[in-house]
Amino acid sequence: MTKVLVVDDAEFLRVRITKMLAGEGYEVNEAENGARALEMYQQIKPDVVLMDITMPEMDGLTALKTIRGIDPNARIIMLTALGQESVVMEAVKAGAKDFVVKPYDSDRVLQAISKAIK
Amino acid sequence: MANVKFMNPFVEAAAEVLAKEAGATVERGTLSLQKSSMTSDQITVLLSLVGQVQGVVLYGLSIETALKLVSKMMGQEFTEFDNLAQSGVAELGNVITGCATVKLSKEGFDAEISPPTLVQGEGIQISTLDFPRIVVQLKTEMGDITVHLALRESPPGSESGKNYVPIAIQMK
Repeated sequence: MTKVLVVDDAEFLRVRITKMLAGEGYEVNEAENGARALEMYQQIKPDVVLMDITMPEMDGLTALKTIRGIDPNARIIMLTALGQESVVMEAVKAGAKDFVVKPYDSDRVLQAISKAIK
Repeated sequence: MANVKFMNPFVEAAAEVLAKEAGATVERGTLSLQKSSMTSDQITVLLSLVGQVQGVVLYGLSIETALKLVSKMMGQEFTEFDNLAQSGVAELGNVITGCATVKLSKEGFDAEISPPTLVQGEGIQISTLDFPRIVVQLKTEMGDITVHLALRESPPGSESGKNYVPIAIQMK
């Protein structure tokens, strides 16, 4: 079963994506910030990470770079609010596989995950 | 001085986001300019903008409306305004404001937004001090959302966000 780690400080978004992905047969874990994501990444070794950008403690861009430093093959998809294009470009340069813009479209999230794990 | 040209991006953003997230239809209601403190609705979501346009945006709504919106957004019935529902309403304010800032950017005003703050409780006094607010009512089939905009074009050289519109919150 494909393991997905959903990282977002907004509980509502985490729960909504988790519910949607679980319904599609994914094994889903949640983290509320980049620091927690880093811990969980090393524990559960997810196949894909969905990573929000703006979060307390450790933001998504820092977490992306840190995780990619530990595992250069990490597949990370950025979850971004509108208006964060410059951060998204930096994330892509730092190795993000894709990005999905809020408000999330379920099909777009699923498509990005499928593409990342191919 | 509050600038009415900043209103339409927020009304359009709210209509787009509420339609996509909750299947709601938005109709613009009354429009007014207010300078006195506002008295909070049952729920108020507050965000700040900094950049070429700066200030605060507030979204006021009832708990009933909030529960209907988050129920639609999550696809499950919410009967209590619990942490998850609070997170949902705050995120809705975040996404509407994010969408509005993209529209503002297309008109030449780049701005970044703060994470949302949720104020719960009726009758709390929220003031932008002497800065006037444009207040627009958005009517949906799930209830009304009142949008307060206290936004201004940043003076040259103040794009770092140091000169933002003040806000004071006074509890009952």
